Amino acid sequence: MKLKKYLVRALHRLQKGPGYTYKELLVWYCDNTNTHGPKRIIKEGPKKKFIWFFLTLLFASLVFWQWGILINTYLSYNVTSSLSIGFKTMKFPAVTVCNANPFKYSEVKPLLKELDRLIEAALERILQPENSSDTVSPPLDLELWNQIPLVLIDEHDKDNPIILDIFETNQTAGGNETGMDSESRKKYKLAVKLCSHQGSDNCTYRNFSSAAQAVTEWYVLQSTSILSKVPLHDRIRMGYQAEDMILACLYGAEPCNYKNFTQIYHPDHGNCYIFNWGMDEEALNSSNPGAEFGLKLILDISQQDYIPYLSSAAGARLMLHQQKSFPFLKDQGIYAMAGTETSIGVLVDELERMGYPYSDCTMNGSDVPVKNLYSQYNTSYSIQACLRSCFQNHMVEICGCGHYMFPLPEGVNYCNNEDYPGWAYCYSSLRSSIKQRQICIDSCKETCNDTQYKMTISMADWPSEASEDWIFHILSYERDMSTNVTLDRNGIIKLNIYFQEYNYRTISESAATTIVWLLSSLGGQFGFWMGGSVLCLVEFGEIIIDSLWITIIHLISWCKGLQQRRARARYPDVPPTVSELVEAHTNLGFQHEAGLGGPGAQELPPEPGTPPPNYDSLRVQPLDTLSPDSDTD
Amino acid sequence: AATAPGKKITARLKRTLPVRGPQAPTLSELMRWYCLNTNTHGCRRIVVSRGRLRRLLWILLTLSAVGLILWQCAELLMNYYSASVSVTVQFQKLPFPAVTICNINPYKYSAMKEYLSELDKETKKALETFYGFSEGKSKVRRSVEDWNSTGSEFFQQIPLLKVEDFSRTATELHSGQKRRVEGSVFHKDSSIVNSGDSNDIIGFQLCDANNSSECALYTFSSGVNAIQEWYKLHYMNIMAQIPLETKEKLSYSADDLILTCFFDGLSCDKRHFTRFHHPLHGNCYTFNSGDNGTILSTSTGGSEYGLHVVLYIDEADYNPFLVTSTGAKIIVHDQNEYPFIEDIGTEIETAAATSIGMHFTRSRKLSKPYSDCTETGADIPVENLYNKSYSLQICLHSCFQKAMVDSCGCAQYAQPLPPGAEYCNYKRNPNWMYCYYRLHEKFVKEQLGCQQICKDACSFKEWALTTSIAQWPSVVSEDWMLRVLSWDKGQKLNKKLNKTDLANLMVFYKDLNERFISENPANTLVILLSNFGGQLGLWMSCSVVCVIEIVEVFLIDSLSIVLRRQWQRAKKWWSHRQRGRAGKAAQGSDLERQGHDNPSPVSMDEDLPTFTTALRLPLPQDSPLPRTPPPNYSTLRLDTAFSEQLPDTLELGQH
Repeated sequence: MKLKKYLVRALHRLQKGPGYTYKELLVWYCDNTNTHGPKRIIKEGPKKKFIWFFLTLLFASLVFWQWGILINTYLSYNVTSSLSIGFKTMKFPAVTVCNANPFKYSEVKPLLKELDRLIEAALERILQPENSSDTVSPPLDLELWNQIPLVLIDEHDKDNPIILDIFETNQTAGGNETGMDSESRKKYKLAVKLCSHQGSDNCTYRNFSSAAQAVTEWYVLQSTSILSKVPLHDRIRMGYQAEDMILACLYGAEPCNYKNFTQIYHPDHGNCYIFNWGMDEEALNSSNPGAEFGLKLILDISQQDYIPYLSSAAGARLMLHQQKSFPFLKDQGIYAMAGTETSIGVLVDELERMGYPYSDCTMNGSDVPVKNLYSQYNTSYSIQACLRSCFQNHMVEICGCGHYMFPLPEGVNYCNNEDYPGWAYCYSSLRSSIKQRQICIDSCKETCNDTQYKMTISMADWPSEASEDWIFHILSYERDMSTNVTLDRNGIIKLNIYFQEYNYRTISESAATTIVWLLSSLGGQFGFWMGGSVLCLVEFGEIIIDSLWITIIHLISWCKGLQQRRARARYPDVPPTVSELVEAHTNLGFQHEAGLGGPGAQELPPEPGTPPPNYDSLRVQPLDTLSPDSDTD
Repeated sequence: AATAPGKKITARLKRTLPVRGPQAPTLSELMRWYCLNTNTHGCRRIVVSRGRLRRLLWILLTLSAVGLILWQCAELLMNYYSASVSVTVQFQKLPFPAVTICNINPYKYSAMKEYLSELDKETKKALETFYGFSEGKSKVRRSVEDWNSTGSEFFQQIPLLKVEDFSRTATELHSGQKRRVEGSVFHKDSSIVNSGDSNDIIGFQLCDANNSSECALYTFSSGVNAIQEWYKLHYMNIMAQIPLETKEKLSYSADDLILTCFFDGLSCDKRHFTRFHHPLHGNCYTFNSGDNGTILSTSTGGSEYGLHVVLYIDEADYNPFLVTSTGAKIIVHDQNEYPFIEDIGTEIETAAATSIGMHFTRSRKLSKPYSDCTETGADIPVENLYNKSYSLQICLHSCFQKAMVDSCGCAQYAQPLPPGAEYCNYKRNPNWMYCYYRLHEKFVKEQLGCQQICKDACSFKEWALTTSIAQWPSVVSEDWMLRVLSWDKGQKLNKKLNKTDLANLMVFYKDLNERFISENPANTLVILLSNFGGQLGLWMSCSVVCVIEIVEVFLIDSLSIVLRRQWQRAKKWWSHRQRGRAGKAAQGSDLERQGHDNPSPVSMDEDLPTFTTALRLPLPQDSPLPRTPPPNYSTLRLDTAFSEQLPDTLELGQH
């Protein structure tokens, strides 16, 4: 019977405080709450009461509406950006220098000899068809040619162009060409024929508006196939060595030499050398702006030793990047021209972003569904690495072999013409596939902390006419220990890389809406419209519990009433008098229980109790509400 | 009888609209009532506190809290229209911008010969006179006479002059005669300060044709500038008379300019370029102009996937006086933007590969009331003469052109024509040069008001360019490259292209990150209100309800009390006057009215009944009426206890 005791006690509490009925409860609440509006409803006269009731409702709805807006704002996870700019001691960027040409021609000549003879003969035929008499003494390796042939497309008739193979059909086509004037020769276009299998009909022709491009593209495809068979250490040997390329180095006031550079093999540019990569040693700091305190380099790109058909632009390729990141020279690299001094002022442009849920970026790439192939270089994640890895993975999946320009996944070989005859066709269709690109774009995410190096580039002629002589002498002596000049203007480059007066610009994000912000805004709104606080909400909750209690009491009494009626129906008795009824209804619960003589009746001491509140309104109420009940009785 | 219906109406009004206000007949009572019953925290303390010092303290505290609230809320209001900047970076497929490419030389010199031969002859003569053949004066004079007989008096109108600085005399080019310089002297070069020692400053004089005494002399410290400027003036005159179709023919065709084209790994040709005639640069070609409805986009960054063109710059066909540098000019812009190639173009060197890496930034500012920028330019009172979207540059140029047409009667050659106007030339507007120079000077000094009228655009796109140059073609590839390119060009094989006639250009995205800088309102109304609420709640635990209370008590109730009192006083004064005149009759009516207004016996002293007390039944404290007793909550009882207790204690303290 503990429960009963508890119930009774709770009822007492109700009686002392909010009262027995909903109305009493409401009036009590309005009178005692700390929220500002309800008190007024009770205190004012009838007209004003109405106004205040309306106002309170209005304010309450306003508060809820604005709370909705605030919570929405909070859940949209906005950020505020702050920008700072100035000079501070910063890590000097990693500097990658490469030669635009990947290998020394003198070293790769044995490999590319056949190819060069082929392209020379082809150009001969294309450009000078009139004297195409075969003066070539050794026979051409036409098998190599036929793997990926170049064709001429005769577009005199727009609708059915005639395709002419340069070496096979030259007898018939060549005769026609001789008599043509320059205007009609323009109608010929050079194209690369790509077949899925050698000799199969499934072929595409890659059209080029310019023959120069066609030749370059063809040469790149062919040389890729040849070079991919060469093991890595041989390729490194064929490239430019650090001691040949980096002639002088000065960082601030400290001398440095080629040993301070880390060698990395880059498929596009052969051997590249990275200064201050930070892989083994601490990254260098620079605490002064200006060219005096930067990195000064003198490079030799030995232009005479370039592969003629592979890269037509000559110069050094260089790039500034973060420590421990892979240099993607094709994307972010810049050229430095031979025979000039190139000065590069650096501004570090940093972007620090909040991760999920504020923005869709990745901290270290671990949550990106693409296997990062560049992790074999121990480099950090970057979007370029992801895109390239994504492409290579697709390539391996579809063509069965990896492209020479990208790192290899485990257990896969590079593509070449012998083992994978259709690779060029496969690669070309994959490269131009928009779907593949979209998949990669969708699956790769950019990094949250992005550092870019903004460069101000200026150039001057170097060395000057007057100083040319002695500079060449000294550099030649230092490199080759010879008294003759082994360098020339076309190979020598001077580089100055330094911090500008303002060396950093940082844009960092911070959450615009925190939970503290949310709470204070919610409190502000509630306080502004209704003068309320969290305690008012607690009060409100209390009232709801109380009203639940009242409901329970009503239910109990209603149930009891039902029981009584049933009992009376079974044993028809003298109907209760009106006064009995009235008494029963005005004193809910207690008297009934006692009157019924339930089993717990004896345990209850006669409750002295406070008398019920003596408002007329309150006293009238139970009679009104219960009158239909009594009528049915 | 006349007053009876009025009284009835008022009586009925009072019955139907019972206004129950504070139970206070006087202002001080009202204040006490307010302080005790208000929801704000400070006021109650003032009334409840005992002791003068403590009360004073509470008054001070309350007042300072009110002051703080007012101050802070004013701050909040003032900062309402502030904007916060947000930077978002998004990696995505980016639209490729339009790239406009021009040859620096506008028209083929060989084709322009027939129009420019006289001007060139004149220029050469000037060079001879001033620099080469100063001794052969007679020869020059003779040729001048020959030339004069051909009838080109226009060149004579604005001759080059050699000015002797101190004597302020000028030697004329043709006649060699000296003339005194009148009017003001304008120096176009800033280095004029230390040019006092040289006595051969070159310049030209522009005079108002209607009023020859008004002249302006423009001098240059260097003859190079003087001759170029002078040449340009005459050149613009000549070009203004040639119709557009002819000019387009005189300039380079797409086939002339573009040798090879490669975009996003695919070949492209002249169909991808749109011609655009620029008055100063001749035919320019815009790649990806969006004219055919599609805008190309790239989904891969890097130099392989951008635009790669080889340009043919025919150096031999350059105009020697108009342009002194060789190469091409390019500008990267949005498809809707007008390419101001003369203002912000990047120059491309010949015999070199120029690689331009782009980084895309989009910015957006908030327009009024946050900042003074314009969304579409529709609210700017300057007509947009270019059929492109609004930009500050367009507005300034249009504004200047409009001023030019208004004051000089003709339009400047370098900018588009407003409707109904035509370009200036000697024949129709002999006066225009003087007018133009005057106007241009005014424009630069911001006297035309263009800089005030024109606002910057709210949103703009920017491509930050990183330009680097490599040697091209390399020594070893030069031979085959030039041969193949010559074949492409379809020239005779024996005439190989020269590498100084070629320029290689690569334009590509460095990365596909779009940086979007946008301004957002730092405050919304919701946040402003919650900040208000925070301030009000912090200092006084006040809310809008309190504000309404304050309005109710301090404006409506107290005003009604004051008005009531004034009304009573006026009435009293009136009745006194009436009594003084008419005696007892007036007094009676006054009493009668007073009795009606106060049905209860509360009015006992001079404190006349207020509006509220008049309508209301007696005050609850005094009323012995057998109504329902007040609710017996302890809080309420405490209130009344205080209000009863307080006056006594206070009076005790005062005594």
